[in-house]
Amino acid sequence: MFLTRSEYDRGVNTFSPEGRLFQVEYAIEAIKLGSTAIGICTSEGVVLAVEKRITSPLMESTTIEKIVENHWFVYNERMSVESCAQAVSNLAIQFGDSDDDSGTAMSRPFGVAVMFAGIDEKGPQLFHMDPSGTFVQYDAKAIGSGSEGAQQSLKEVYHKSMTLKEAIKSALTILKQVMEEKLSENNVEMIAAIPELQWSESSSRNTLQDFSKLKLGRQTSVN
Amino acid sequence: MLNVHGDFPEYAVPGAKQHRFEPYADNGGSIVAIAGEDYAVIGADTRLSTGFSIYTREQKKLFQLSARTVLGATGCWCDTLTLTRLLRARLQMYEQEHNKPMGTPAVAQMLSTMLYYKRFFPYYVSNVLAGLDADGRGCVYSYDPIGHCERSTYRAGGSAGAQLQPLLDNQIGLKNMQNVTEAPLPREKALALIKDVFISAAERDIYTGDSIYILIITADGIQEEKFDLRKD
Repeated sequence: MFLTRSEYDRGVNTFSPEGRLFQVEYAIEAIKLGSTAIGICTSEGVVLAVEKRITSPLMESTTIEKIVENHWFVYNERMSVESCAQAVSNLAIQFGDSDDDSGTAMSRPFGVAVMFAGIDEKGPQLFHMDPSGTFVQYDAKAIGSGSEGAQQSLKEVYHKSMTLKEAIKSALTILKQVMEEKLSENNVEMIAAIPELQWSESSSRNTLQDFSKLKLGRQTSVN
Repeated sequence: MLNVHGDFPEYAVPGAKQHRFEPYADNGGSIVAIAGEDYAVIGADTRLSTGFSIYTREQKKLFQLSARTVLGATGCWCDTLTLTRLLRARLQMYEQEHNKPMGTPAVAQMLSTMLYYKRFFPYYVSNVLAGLDADGRGCVYSYDPIGHCERSTYRAGGSAGAQLQPLLDNQIGLKNMQNVTEAPLPREKALALIKDVFISAAERDIYTGDSIYILIITADGIQEEKFDLRKD
């Protein structure tokens, strides 16, 4: 495999004769090394569940908040979910050689897949973006190491009229199935975007209500 | 006459010419905007002048930015043109990036940041923005040249702004009145008031006159109207 590819997989500025950018494809492979994350969108809200491998209270929130803050600063309004995905996508595809005016560029694509869950004037939405910057709207999506199995399970369990409660339960059940470690309160993280809660306070920090405050934790615990 | 140094006369002499950088011109003009429950009216005079001479008697100073937003801009006319062209470009970029037209409060905030971006070489423009907000209510935003922005229900700006505002304060804000009750301002009353205050302004301000161009913004669309003022 490396013999045939080696000529064309050293840079992101050269297509292979078959018309592929290997570095981008490798980056897409790289996301499968990451922990599993599941997103489910229902008419009542969007839920995100992730397997947490390492955590640190020192972790900082970064670019996405900056983009959203900038949008608020310039337009004094909430950024839509799709616009947020679009903005991050614009950032993600800036790999390659730098143009003269755009300053320093990234030498390789981000080895990251992102899910955007949120609510705007179009209601609850879920978007997924891969390292190539392509973003697509989903009803339910799984990424990371257990994504293949999880996606299959999502296909079976998802239906359009799903309630948020069902979605939360499904997300946890599927996560439990694909995780190598035993699921516990320490190694999963969950968050839900719910329409009624979004507009209740002016602070943007309340947009995504912490899952623990939803009082759903006990009822949906998985045995 | 010689100055204290005894060498040079105080008046200009041939061969000693001063050149200064004068980037701004004052081309006059006034704007009045009033917001109602479900409408906004904005009017600006159509005289474009410099000092005692008039460039034209029919220069529109209202810029329709979208189906529910209108900007009135007076001051240095070349700055007005540049600012409004830039605004239109930014509005188009927003529409293509976000797949929706920009709302009036968003335009208002963006204009503020655009003006402050030129904090140390400002656009010499007096801006009043009128339109409908997300709930369909009328809104008026006014600015200083470096981007301070305030939302209000009525505002006068431009060369006769200082003459017009107190009259609006009295008639709409019901300031310095006794035994009055606040009531929503009907559209016809707002329109009549704009004409009245401009007639007063044209009497006192030499940079305001000729006629007023008025735009009435409602959910159904934007209606225009013209009204003559004295031309001297």
